[in-house]
Amino acid sequence: MTEQIDKALAREYEAGFVSAIESETFEAGLNEDVIRRISEVKGEPEWMLEWRLKAYRVWLEMEEPSWAHVSYPKIDFQSISYYSAPKSMKDKPKSLDEVDPELLRTYEKLGIPLVEQQMLAGIAVDAVFDSVSVVTTFREKLEEAGVIFCPISEAVHKHPELVKKYLGSVVPTKDNYYAALNCAVFTDGSFVYIPKGTRCPMELSTYFRINEQNTGQFERTLIIADEGSYVSYLEGCTAPQRDENQLHAAVVELVALDDAEIKYSTVQNWYPGDEDGKGGIYNFVTKRGVCHTNAKISWTQVETGSSVTWKYPSCVLKGDNSVGEFYSVALTRGRQQADTGTKMIHIGKNTRSTIISKGISAGKSNNAYRGLVRMNPGADGARNFTQCDSLLIGDQCGAHTFPYVESRNPSAIVEHEATTSKVSDDQLFLCQQRGLDAEKAVSMIVNGFCKEVFKELPMEFAVEAGKLLEISLEGSVG
Amino acid sequence: MSEWLQGAIARGQQVQDGFSDQRAASLALLQEIKWPNRKTEAWRYTPLRAVERSSAQIKELSPELEPVSIADLQFLELVFVDGVLVSLPEELPDGLVIEMQESSLFGTIKPERHIFGLVNDVLAADVAVVRVAAGAVIEQPLRISNLMSEGAEGHIRVLVDVAQNAKVTVYEHAESQSGSLTTAYTEFRIGADATLEHYRFALQSGNQVSIGGSHFCLLERAQLNSTIIGFGSDLQRLDTDIIHRGEKADAKLNAIYLLDGQELFDLHANVEHEVPNCTTEENVRGIAADRSRAVFNGRIHIHRDAQKTLAELNNRNLLMSDKAEINTKPELEIYADDVRCAHGATVAEIDKKALYYLRSRGLTKGQAQVMLNFGFINELIDQMPNPTLAEWVRPIIRERFAQMEVK
Amino acid sequence: MSNSNVLLSIKDLHASVEEKNILKGLNLEIKPGEVHAIMGPNGAGKSTTGYVLSGRDGYEVNSGSVTLDGEDLLEMDVEERARAGLFLAFQYPVEIPGVSNLEFLKASVDAQREARGQEALTSAEFLKLAKEACKQVNLPVSFLKRGVNEGFSGGEKKRNEIMQMILLQPKVCILDETDSGLDIDAMQVVAEGVNSQRSPERSFIVVTHYQRLLDYIKPDFVHVLADGKIVKSGDASLAKELEEQGYAWLQTEPREDELED
Repeated sequence: MTEQIDKALAREYEAGFVSAIESETFEAGLNEDVIRRISEVKGEPEWMLEWRLKAYRVWLEMEEPSWAHVSYPKIDFQSISYYSAPKSMKDKPKSLDEVDPELLRTYEKLGIPLVEQQMLAGIAVDAVFDSVSVVTTFREKLEEAGVIFCPISEAVHKHPELVKKYLGSVVPTKDNYYAALNCAVFTDGSFVYIPKGTRCPMELSTYFRINEQNTGQFERTLIIADEGSYVSYLEGCTAPQRDENQLHAAVVELVALDDAEIKYSTVQNWYPGDEDGKGGIYNFVTKRGVCHTNAKISWTQVETGSSVTWKYPSCVLKGDNSVGEFYSVALTRGRQQADTGTKMIHIGKNTRSTIISKGISAGKSNNAYRGLVRMNPGADGARNFTQCDSLLIGDQCGAHTFPYVESRNPSAIVEHEATTSKVSDDQLFLCQQRGLDAEKAVSMIVNGFCKEVFKELPMEFAVEAGKLLEISLEGSVG
Repeated sequence: MSEWLQGAIARGQQVQDGFSDQRAASLALLQEIKWPNRKTEAWRYTPLRAVERSSAQIKELSPELEPVSIADLQFLELVFVDGVLVSLPEELPDGLVIEMQESSLFGTIKPERHIFGLVNDVLAADVAVVRVAAGAVIEQPLRISNLMSEGAEGHIRVLVDVAQNAKVTVYEHAESQSGSLTTAYTEFRIGADATLEHYRFALQSGNQVSIGGSHFCLLERAQLNSTIIGFGSDLQRLDTDIIHRGEKADAKLNAIYLLDGQELFDLHANVEHEVPNCTTEENVRGIAADRSRAVFNGRIHIHRDAQKTLAELNNRNLLMSDKAEINTKPELEIYADDVRCAHGATVAEIDKKALYYLRSRGLTKGQAQVMLNFGFINELIDQMPNPTLAEWVRPIIRERFAQMEVK
Repeated sequence: MSNSNVLLSIKDLHASVEEKNILKGLNLEIKPGEVHAIMGPNGAGKSTTGYVLSGRDGYEVNSGSVTLDGEDLLEMDVEERARAGLFLAFQYPVEIPGVSNLEFLKASVDAQREARGQEALTSAEFLKLAKEACKQVNLPVSFLKRGVNEGFSGGEKKRNEIMQMILLQPKVCILDETDSGLDIDAMQVVAEGVNSQRSPERSFIVVTHYQRLLDYIKPDFVHVLADGKIVKSGDASLAKELEEQGYAWLQTEPREDELED
């Protein structure tokens, strides 16, 4: 079976094309001057530059983490370019008409039309291309509702009080190596503010695209849901097919104030590298949200891309009765390595968290769930339920589970369960006997395995995620 | 590097015996090693302050100590006092040999997981080698007692080689007086079709440090049934490894920890499935009261070739106080697809329905709680293959519950 | 007042579970030696009555009073009520692995005897009693050594409940759907156990959905509980009537939750 899997896995990465766009790209290398230049290109105020430089100095003192169940050659941070933007973006186009048509074509090819007439109804998109935001759609409509949805580089100018107050408030600069790096060199990303009592009238979405060679993408997203508000936010990402590894080190911070709810969904489809593990994105991401009283944050992720993933979207359940959720499907194949999971920190009383993680390993990949559930002494009556299931396809892959449970409250209840299984011959036989081919059968079984997570995705995304899995699994059965 | 470790290394350089080669290798590693801290995964939740502050010393002259006697149980006794082997069974049954010479077993089963295993490699004074001959069935259980007098430091090492088709019961017993520090490691090779019934009770609590491990290697169709019971102390750390090296081997491990006061207990249980068709069943239960801290790490590692493995780990914990702490980490690392593996871990309070049921029959909340706690643990005691030993340990555990403060 | 002769008195009892009102003005007076059957449709509050009287957590009394032998029952903890002589035979007895039935029974009986100012039984004395009780409910003596209800069949659990009743010698026994899930043979055993305990001092509340149990345990009174209060009372013939006509005729108005459906 293994041989056939290997052969069949040589499938096309559909988003692997390169757009012919002339860019202004910094020469490779990282030092204080580079950071000053990034800040200058962005026309940032002094406080922002100071913040970056401080982070850079912190980063220099830190060590790259080695505890994850992944291995990759040491990253040479001096060989990466930290800024790249299409030249056409330099004049800051005022409307879509002024945007380079090649850029628009790129997004169209990826299935994200940015021209309003063709757009998916009900979804506002911020399109980030390498280090800049190209366009943010439906802004006027959102402004009517008082919702701010703009590139973070713009928010630094227009909403400095919000940025100053919340940037780094959830993920402190010192949090970890990549977060510190991001603080120093982040270029763009999305900023969202939902005012008190407002239900965001449409889904918000950011689409990240890496195009330029030898660059890293360091985006920064900050979402603030004020008291009693609600927002659903989607994130997608792709990159061209290249032989070199590219680094993507993002930071996402969510703030759900009292009674607010944030639903954050990701379909991550960065280039995973080829069958021999050549190329692909290093996806080293820090995502965390803080929940105030009665607030809720729900992370849903479908991870199919990247050659190495290191990602733990987490919830700090600070307020009483707050709720954290983490629903994840991570599929690895070829030589992909994923070490992903979540942290649920229960601080407030009667806080609740649910973790559902589905890991699917195929080919020669390794897929690890790593999670932490912590019940602090004050978390009276808190509850956690965790279910981690692994599915192995083929005998050359690995599936791992590393859950940390720390409880310091006798009235808190933590339940963790993990199982592992394979697509059984019986299941396959049944499907085939009913006339399905093996691939279709596996894809059906895998979809069934992931159902609990898919149902958490907004509908448009659920369809996309299902398709993505199907493509990813193409030929993974002999 | 800590002062304590420097002292250990200095003393280690003076040890000369039949195990010198192995000791030298460990000494070299020890000279390179970093003193563990919070970022050292194996010691993440277990600070080593108690070792750093220990004033325990190797004694020139140790008092005469004898292990507690257990009614209705006659053991073949192997007694260490302050790390020195002081007595061997006067008569050995056929098929059982105990000797003090070199053995190729030394260090082959115990992995170099952490610093204290290496310390023991270097400093264990009398290494006892127990050999059970092929086909021998040793009816009388063998007890290895590690007795530590006040303020003493001692390191013991026992190697047990159970040849094919043999059958033996080994009980590792420990008593530590205040201010003592000990490391105690045993390595067991369980031959093809052989059976080992194993107990390790670490019931010594209070102001003392005990670090050690029981490590097992199972060959074809070997069977292991092990029961571990631990109370906490200033620092009590146990590592156990079960290595399936022959097909169709079967291991069952039941472990219990019961902590009170400011005690600390850390159990690391690792299972390596290297070959196909083996089974492992682990049940680990713990209760932490008052200001105690329990640490459990249960890893199951299924190697690439270990198809058709069945491995399960179940860890359940009860937290009795808001100053107590439970840290548990069940881990699965799986590289073979046709396996059935699962783990579960829970930390919870006592079952409210059961509490209500007992109270509705007239028991006070306190009584009911003690009864439920005891039942939670007793389920595993009931599974001990040796009923006499179970009868002996049951009241000790009951007594411990009675002393635990119930809120 | 005839009050002095009343063993259990429930007056205008209102109780709720998770903020949902279940009992809405329950009144019942039980004299020593009487057997009262409480029948009623599902959701009427039959099981709730037992839980409220025994003091289960989460069952809130909003108003009303309950006295047992003149003592305020509602002021007491769960175990105090048990020691005062209230016994609830559970519909679904919980399993407690690791705690042996014998140990549990001994502790319960010790608690009762202490409350009554009696001396504790020796282990040997108690074992003798327990063995007799086993025989009476047709449970093998080996069940004493097993975990409480652990792995017992439905019928065995019910018999274990009756055995506890026999050992604890309560004043008021509430049998909560003790017949549910039992075949005729098992039900007879249970009923015999109960009947053997009938005495001029001891009273019973038999909660049941079906009339058939009452063929074996003859009630003095039958009450129909609907929507949290007693809507009709009568003698044993009322049970027969209910059996033939069902409960629908009692409900003049549809219940809220039915409307929602």
